[in-house]
Amino acid sequence: MLAAVAAAGVIGTLAACGGSAGGGGDDELTVWMLTLEGAQKEAMDTLVSDFEAANEGVTVNIEERSTDAHKDALRQVAGTDAGPDIYWYWEGPGLGGELVEAGLSKDLTAEYEQYGWADRFGEATLSNITRYGGYHGVPFTQQAEAIYYNKELFAQAGITAEPTTYEEFEAAAAKLAAAGITPITFGGTVNWHVMRLLDSLIETNCGSDTFDQLVTTETSWDTPCVDESFTQLKTWGDEYFNDGFQGVADAEAQQLFYTGDAAMAYEGTWFDSLTVDNGMDPANIGVFKFPTGTERLYGFGEGFYINAASDKPEDAAKFLDFVTSTEEQNKVVGAFSPISVNTEVPTATGNPLHELWPPLYDAASGFYLNNDQNLTLDQTTEYWRVMNSVLTGGLAPADAGAEFQAFVDSNA
Amino acid sequence: MSGATILANPSASGGQVAAVPAPPANRPRRDYVGIGLWISLAISALIWALPFVFMFLTSVKTNADVNTAPTWHLPSVWQWVNYADAVETGDLWVTGANSLVVAIIKVPIGLLLAAAAAYALARLRFRFSKLVLAVLVAGSMVPIQVGLGPLFTTMLSLDLLDTKLGLMLPYLAFGVPYQIFMLYGFFRAIPDELEESARLDGASTFRIFWQICLPLAKPALAALFILDFVATWNEYAIAATLLQSQDNWTVPLAVLSFSGQRATEYGPLNAFIIMSAVPVLIVYLLFQRYFVAGAFSGAVKG
Amino acid sequence: MTAVHHPPAQQAPPRRRSDRRLLQALPYLLPAVVLYLGFLVYPMVDAVRLSFFEWTGFRNDEPVFVGLDNYVRTFTNDPVFYRALTNSVIWVVLSLLIPMLLGLLLALALNRRMVGRNLFRSVFYIPAVFASITVAAMWRWIYNPNVGSLNQLLEAVGLASLQQEWLGNPQIALYSVFVASVWQGVGFSLVLFLAGLQQVPAELVDAARVDGANRWQVFKAVTVPALRPTTAVVTILTIINSLKVYDLVVGMTGGGPAQSTQVLALWSYQQSITNHDFGQGGAVATVLLVVSLCLVVPYLVRTLKAEEH
Repeated sequence: MLAAVAAAGVIGTLAACGGSAGGGGDDELTVWMLTLEGAQKEAMDTLVSDFEAANEGVTVNIEERSTDAHKDALRQVAGTDAGPDIYWYWEGPGLGGELVEAGLSKDLTAEYEQYGWADRFGEATLSNITRYGGYHGVPFTQQAEAIYYNKELFAQAGITAEPTTYEEFEAAAAKLAAAGITPITFGGTVNWHVMRLLDSLIETNCGSDTFDQLVTTETSWDTPCVDESFTQLKTWGDEYFNDGFQGVADAEAQQLFYTGDAAMAYEGTWFDSLTVDNGMDPANIGVFKFPTGTERLYGFGEGFYINAASDKPEDAAKFLDFVTSTEEQNKVVGAFSPISVNTEVPTATGNPLHELWPPLYDAASGFYLNNDQNLTLDQTTEYWRVMNSVLTGGLAPADAGAEFQAFVDSNA
Repeated sequence: MSGATILANPSASGGQVAAVPAPPANRPRRDYVGIGLWISLAISALIWALPFVFMFLTSVKTNADVNTAPTWHLPSVWQWVNYADAVETGDLWVTGANSLVVAIIKVPIGLLLAAAAAYALARLRFRFSKLVLAVLVAGSMVPIQVGLGPLFTTMLSLDLLDTKLGLMLPYLAFGVPYQIFMLYGFFRAIPDELEESARLDGASTFRIFWQICLPLAKPALAALFILDFVATWNEYAIAATLLQSQDNWTVPLAVLSFSGQRATEYGPLNAFIIMSAVPVLIVYLLFQRYFVAGAFSGAVKG
Repeated sequence: MTAVHHPPAQQAPPRRRSDRRLLQALPYLLPAVVLYLGFLVYPMVDAVRLSFFEWTGFRNDEPVFVGLDNYVRTFTNDPVFYRALTNSVIWVVLSLLIPMLLGLLLALALNRRMVGRNLFRSVFYIPAVFASITVAAMWRWIYNPNVGSLNQLLEAVGLASLQQEWLGNPQIALYSVFVASVWQGVGFSLVLFLAGLQQVPAELVDAARVDGANRWQVFKAVTVPALRPTTAVVTILTIINSLKVYDLVVGMTGGGPAQSTQVLALWSYQQSITNHDFGQGGAVATVLLVVSLCLVVPYLVRTLKAEEH
């Protein structure tokens, strides 16, 4: 008898709670994104309120997470009904491609047809959308990463020109260090931050072709140019990084750049608005391409994907058409990246830093991706472990390539 | 305070036991040992309290204050607005309400189920009841994380992912066995005569459970209520695995998210941390009497 | 686990009566047992099952049976696994040494009338009611290399040379996390030992004092034996809690830097859910499960046996 009472109680009460779950009302679109702040927050709010005004009855609910929490959450919901209607993600095979493969992304071939999106975006931008077969995702930004530097601090250290070779780059760091200035700031707890330097060192030492073969594991990592890269990485970590970089996250590391405590930061186009939001004078900031000696720029695309499990794909497509439209992009270009993915939209003005980018884009023959977008998940985890082991002295730089290759081989 | 006399023992204050000659017993004296003990306790307590002090001071500072002066300096401006900021950006009302709903429904149900099962095991001693108890308890001691991956797929196939019900079911499964273990001891200690005389008066098994055993276990139930409330409020691993949408988040998820996303907003971050712990602090302070007396006396009896 | 003076055990009842008792007991037992089997035992068994398969965890992917491959890979080819295993063992050993001993000392000190006793007890205990995630966030802040209080304190007292990257240095990061766990965990063993001290028979203490025993002798001859059951409980719970450590590591380092603070529970989760390798994750989980059961089962058998007499 008791059991019956208790069981009825449990089921009754709990069932009542079960009903309250789920993605909200019938006409609510849930969108998962990274944390938005300052200009980016305002831009997104503008897009959402414009869309809601133009589409009576449809509401858009943006949920924000930090970078790694966002990745974890999406990996968890891949192949379930628990995900959002739309998710924002990086387009490279190691990240976006992985979720496409997991069946999370809806093939948008019909929508591209219906809205004529293929004409809206440039060819380079679309290549990351079409590379998985069909159309996956709608491009939102094409981000490039380069070295941001504090002009005052460079002058203080006696650096007169932007470095154009790797040797000059390292010499500049040495001058800064000698002048008592932290040359470059990284946050080590999020592994992908320091990774930017390592990726670029590999592109520098190995060249573009070998880089591409390495990341697809067509060639062995146990090779001198990789060893050289890890050796240089170790030097940077020991001599030129902010003290205690292994214990801070990216946001705390960026803080050092904002406050003028570090001279350089390896960031991307999104950083234009962040520096201004955090009170820096853009006239005091310069940007130069990491001097790899190759033609390629470091960067990646980011897009919005429609969840294959969404029960509102029409509304979702309507939203994505809206936010990438010429009219709306004109309003928000610059907040996320100075160059819109919509080819009709001119380069952003308003932030002097935006003007520094088009020459870099124009001079580049293409992009090399961040390696967490190139490698598979378990490879990325190991890549980061090897990288951090070298930085913390647990692994000799000369053994790093071999160590990573051993992992690749044993998990092939 | 039966053991009070022994506890003036110098062994409590460190390793110098052998070096301190014990004063002759039975002679009135100033309790120097006691005073020394009190001072070392006070110092330890101060050290223990420091993190709270730092956290509070930071929570009312601007970032400029944090960056320029040591943590223990008083703020130049008392930035109480940090608390309002934290409530707003951290969605504290929503996550707090979620945690509260889960705890308020789950904890009493769990205690009832545990009491019923413990009663069956302790008083209706059927064959293998010991074995059942052992299996139940063994499972409860295994790290939760072992089953997180499959738990996720289980909830997925039951379509209970990202729901409060889907969270409460594993909470019950992981919480109840431990409570059975504790209550089992209490029910076993009830004299058989009490039950037999009730039975002679014609009381049913259910009445014996409901009107005799449960009331006797009140102190234990009160203590378990606190323990379980605190554990439920604080649970992170299962919630992080099963809850996806922010509308359903519980407080620990919000704390982690806040400290990840807004790591450099030092003031609001610390304000958020303080506020996230207020409910468990209240529960603890209200019930601490039961807690010390009831919860553990059952656990540590021989 | 039950009172010393419980009623004498009944004679083993005849079988038929016992069957009737089982029927009687079932309604009381079933709800708890069903929940337990469905949401605790089943996921754990499933983790063991998955350790013999290769599976990404995605719905559109079918698990493939691979026999013992995952174990072979975990034991021979997983550079993180041994780090995690070692760290878990270190954690267990340190937890048995430090917070347990501190808890005992504090309990002995607090088990007497004194001014501020309740305040002291609360100060030591309150960290234990905080969520580990919250404690992690607090201590990450204390350890912050730029504006953290610990480095500031060291500088203020002239010990700047001891300043560290508390969470950034792989040599010490695990111990930094452990300090936070001591801060949080002492209250737990303190309360258990305090409860245990209430069971020390006052008559015995008085008798020993009358016989001229000094405090140390009384402690050794009366208190220590009386605390033995408490110590057993605290020991087993400390070990179990050490194997479960997860939230603190997630909140403070996420297992880094360079996996130097990785522990078994977290590595199992990351292999399954972050790396999408439920087979490897299952293998690590199985190792953890076996270790836990090896510790728990003998303890339970002993406790329940002791209750028989």
